[in-house]
Amino acid sequence: MNAARITFVAVSVLALTTLARAEGELPIPADEFVYCTVCHGVQLMGNPTIEAPRLSGMESWYVENQLRAFRKGWRGKHEMDLIGMEMQPMAAALSDEQVKEVSAFVSTTRSDAPPSTIDGDADKGRTHYSTCAACHGVRGEGNIALGSPALTGLNDWYLVTQLRNFRDGTRGSHAGDTYGMQMRASTRLLPDDEAIQDVVTYISTLQEQ
Amino acid sequence: MKEKNLSRRHFLGLVGAAGGATAVYQTAMAMGLMQETGPVAMLALQSAGPAGKKVAVLGAGIAGLTVAYELERAGYEVTIIEASHRVGGRNLTLRHGDRVDEMGYDQVCNFDDDPEMYFNAGPARIPGHHHRVLHYCKELQIPLQIKANFSRPAYKHDPERFGGKPVLMSRYVADARGFLSELLYKAVDKNVFDEPLSAEDRERVLQFATGYGDLNSKGKYTGTRRGGYKSGGFAKPAEHHPIMDFGELLDSKFWAGGLTNSENPDWGEPLMEAVGGMDNIIKGFVKNIKRPILTNAQVQSIQNRADGIDIIYNHKGQRHKFSADWCFNSIPTHFMQGIPNNLSKEYKAGLASLRPGNFFKIGFQMKERFWEREGIYGGITSTNQKINQIWYPSHGIHGKKGVVLGAYAFWDQSKFFERMTPDERLRFAADCGEKIHPGYADYIEAGVSIPWGRMNHMMGCGTSWSPEARDRYYKMLQQPDGRHYMIGDQISYHTSWQEGAFASAEVALLDLDQRVRAASSTSRKG
Repeated sequence: MNAARITFVAVSVLALTTLARAEGELPIPADEFVYCTVCHGVQLMGNPTIEAPRLSGMESWYVENQLRAFRKGWRGKHEMDLIGMEMQPMAAALSDEQVKEVSAFVSTTRSDAPPSTIDGDADKGRTHYSTCAACHGVRGEGNIALGSPALTGLNDWYLVTQLRNFRDGTRGSHAGDTYGMQMRASTRLLPDDEAIQDVVTYISTLQEQ
Repeated sequence: MKEKNLSRRHFLGLVGAAGGATAVYQTAMAMGLMQETGPVAMLALQSAGPAGKKVAVLGAGIAGLTVAYELERAGYEVTIIEASHRVGGRNLTLRHGDRVDEMGYDQVCNFDDDPEMYFNAGPARIPGHHHRVLHYCKELQIPLQIKANFSRPAYKHDPERFGGKPVLMSRYVADARGFLSELLYKAVDKNVFDEPLSAEDRERVLQFATGYGDLNSKGKYTGTRRGGYKSGGFAKPAEHHPIMDFGELLDSKFWAGGLTNSENPDWGEPLMEAVGGMDNIIKGFVKNIKRPILTNAQVQSIQNRADGIDIIYNHKGQRHKFSADWCFNSIPTHFMQGIPNNLSKEYKAGLASLRPGNFFKIGFQMKERFWEREGIYGGITSTNQKINQIWYPSHGIHGKKGVVLGAYAFWDQSKFFERMTPDERLRFAADCGEKIHPGYADYIEAGVSIPWGRMNHMMGCGTSWSPEARDRYYKMLQQPDGRHYMIGDQISYHTSWQEGAFASAEVALLDLDQRVRAASSTSRKG
């Protein structure tokens, strides 16, 4: 009994110190980037109420690419992309150096994996995903060489929105946006909304494993 | 000994001695001595009890400052944690050199360095039935003045009607009433109703219609002096405006906006404003709150404990943990899904069911008070253009310059302006103003736009409650979750009004008072 108690205490102490260290390690945004967390939440955990996606731990090279896409108006200028339009001026206000700095900050943020909110058919989704895997990896881990971001850890509702945006040409229809155009072409493999739901449901299972 | 009947006042005094402010308030309500819209009782809160006196207030807007002010007076130690660089929340008066912290477009207000050149970018009007606002203005000695709102010499403007020319509001009101009264007169005169009116009632209604519309003795509307003077009326004979075309009046949707705004009790005359800027209310609170207020301090986590509540916040590049006994949270509800917390599942669902509202305003500094030359001294011109309204200042009459409200867009309309750059917004609003006051754009010396949906740490103004959310979650969100109280205009029936913020603070404080008294009596028994 005593041994059990000692173990329990030891585990608790360990748990507490881990927590304390984890707390201490969480990056604090520079003053000039606090506003990112106003929409995207503490540690960029995402905020579905205002449709700001989770960005925690996103690859800095991909964040850089997307901030540049916003700056150039490849994203957030299409009249149907109302949420993207809210983001666009934030990116436009950043200097080259700030783009690099803030992207590095984004990649260090940490938060719990987002909850799943989409209830599609993961089995059907797996079939669809086989094509996606060519660029985004079998485990959704992404591939920097192809400019393909990781898909794990993203909000499922955000993936649905973006797949629809690509499909409808709201995203990925600007001539300069090579990667976006590629992605837009790829969404033709998803015949309808149901297919989008299914593939996103499957992608969610990847982050659980 | 002769028994005396208790006077109501004496009785309430006894209740107060036994049960405190909450009990007096509730008993008075029950006795019908107070109405929800009646004068506000002083919150005589019990001093902090064994349940603890350390309080975290999240957000330094009206609700947060009210809580801090009242609790300090009751002996609590209050720490206010404010995310923005400034105190006041949406109570924002802009003057020379003030930072306009719009996300993506950080700007500085370029009005002249002159105390008369200010613009209330948030709340700008106080009606007489907003008793809590008025109570605190009185207590904090904030001077108020009358603010004109509905103005007969101002205009109603529809670019599609009457040749796109602005029409005097007085003519709109007079002709609209005249035509409607004539219709009523005819209907009653011919007795077209399913159940005929009695002769006596008919006579009364005819008299009413005649008086309301200024009809002639035959029940016809032939024009009225109520529309205003076209010329003369003093040394020379008066010439009044001719009647407008009723068909065109109908086409202009005269009933939408402008004409009936002051029928809304919140916009009913007379209204008031703080002399020198609405933010004097904020300054009044700050002056009377002892503990320093932390700005640029952003909350990272809210965790209820069994006997307290922990707040983690970032400040000056450091992470801080503040362990409080109580927390009063006025963070916009739409941010709560982005802040780790351990509030109950149902409480979180309630917060997540709300959506931000939105408002948009433009302030223009005009180099001359040209509107005064048109006989306009304060009040509002209403237009069907996207700017909706132009407000003329009620202060600084006959001064050289003045600050005009150049656009006021509500809710979804605000998005139209939000999607423009600040310069585009000002140019757009200047063009709209030009259609009402020729030369308008040339009078503009400086301008500033405030899209609340894009303001840092705000991202909205007012809160959208669906009927279902109101039904299911409102009462719950008025109640605490553990040691956590949600406050702000968002938790009221008057979102985007200061009175709503005061009311939510009052509800939370009275609830706390009840708990403190309960805890004190338990500990006494123990």
